[in-house]
Amino acid sequence: MINEDTSRKVEKKDLNKVFWRQFGLQVGWNYEKMMGMGYCFTMIPIIEKFYKDKEEKKEALDLHLQFFNTNPTMAPYIIGADIAIEEEAGLENKEAINSFKVGLMGPFAGIGDTVFVAIYRSIVFSIAAYLALEGNFFGAIFPVITALLLWGVRYKFLMVGYNQGHKLITGFANQLQILNEAATVLGLTVIGGLIPSILNVKTPLVFTHGEVKMELQPMIDKILPSLIPVSLVLFCYWLLGKKHMNSTKLIVILMIMGIALGALNILK
Amino acid sequence: MEISFTQILIITLYSFISAIDGLTFQVGLANAIFAGAFTGLVMGNVKLGLAVGATLQLMGLGVASYGGASVPNYKAAAILGTAFAAMTGQSIEFAIGISVPVGILLTHVATLVRFANVYFQHKSEKYAKAGNTAGITKANIASSITWGFGDAIPTFLGLYFGSEVVGFITEKIPGWLITGLGVSGKILPAMGIAILMRYLPFKKFYPFMILGFVIAAYMKVNLIGVAIIGFSIAAIFVIHKEQNGSQTEGGEIDD
Repeated sequence: MINEDTSRKVEKKDLNKVFWRQFGLQVGWNYEKMMGMGYCFTMIPIIEKFYKDKEEKKEALDLHLQFFNTNPTMAPYIIGADIAIEEEAGLENKEAINSFKVGLMGPFAGIGDTVFVAIYRSIVFSIAAYLALEGNFFGAIFPVITALLLWGVRYKFLMVGYNQGHKLITGFANQLQILNEAATVLGLTVIGGLIPSILNVKTPLVFTHGEVKMELQPMIDKILPSLIPVSLVLFCYWLLGKKHMNSTKLIVILMIMGIALGALNILK
Repeated sequence: MEISFTQILIITLYSFISAIDGLTFQVGLANAIFAGAFTGLVMGNVKLGLAVGATLQLMGLGVASYGGASVPNYKAAAILGTAFAAMTGQSIEFAIGISVPVGILLTHVATLVRFANVYFQHKSEKYAKAGNTAGITKANIASSITWGFGDAIPTFLGLYFGSEVVGFITEKIPGWLITGLGVSGKILPAMGIAILMRYLPFKKFYPFMILGFVIAAYMKVNLIGVAIIGFSIAAIFVIHKEQNGSQTEGGEIDD
């Protein structure tokens, strides 16, 4: 279908306006429509350009204020594709636009929250925290640098989304899957290394057999370095698999455990 | 060390701005490490701030606001923990011990903000009916203020009444509890790692975690080295996957 209506022609500068606005996607997050207001806010430069007719404009605003929620780093892909669809067909098929948005937001939240939240955090903040614990101020700066890289990712997603329009190429999904798995490999390697690097809880226990004093910690170290930290991580992992367990409850359990074991001089 | 009113204002202002950054541009002002470091800088003890922030960050490693779930406020915890420890000259572990409950107490600030923002959503819907795009733009930007105050108010109150709280803590809390809190601070980061293991496909990819552990624990490679090795393994993984993919495709044609 050829777009003969020249008023609906997206230029680079429109996409740039959208790019700056998408940073406001989740600031209005609320329990009713979640990112609904933010989505509409992001689309406003496009709405202003495409729909000069007042009634049409109202329709578009209402459409984009609806419920929306996904991973904010990947959202620009959906926004870009949405712009391409509307550039072609305007508001002719509002249901199609809405179902496109709703259809993508779930899978994108899944992939995005894994790659750009969980794995991203595990790598970036492991390294940053490790540096910070050594007293290195670069630990506080490192996440700022990587955050700017994520800006680039968002920009790229907006452009790729716009260029691919609604023709979601299966190759893209495949690439994302491989990226997801590769990032998981990197993330898990880093957090494996994190355990002995930052968890340095030890036992001060000493066994006395008559004249012989035996410190427990060196014996443990011969079995497995960082045995106590590893056991703690596995203990938490196991507890988190229990029903009705959440991170806040686990914090309370660990606080009490720490106070008890510390006060009894079992751990230090 | 006492905290001056100017210091309180600077930290409160930082807290306001970083709260908004955390939901918009996300340049990294809102994480616990930065919060600790900044507070440490203002209080004249950067090393303390870095250590408190880093430990809290590690605790919260796997705790993110997926789909808008409320999580403990590690940033406020890092700010107040660092400030309290700087005021009393207490240890890093102690600072962490008292900051964790603060973080949990402030979990529901985000919940309140998300309720408050329904007001702006409704306002936007009203503007939409009038075709008023500028109104929607304003409403969305205005909703950032609720996040700013959501963090700034508890931070200000915590710092303002901090000396009383801290005085109480140092006078009334027995020695064994302070030792115990120190151990709590040391074991809490285990939780962050465990949550990540639950969130990521650990059961499928566990050998990579063992590998990372062995490289760091036995070979004493530091974490940046581990990350570089991890990156190489991930790259090899991709190459292997892509080759496998093309081989299967080729096989199909032969059949």
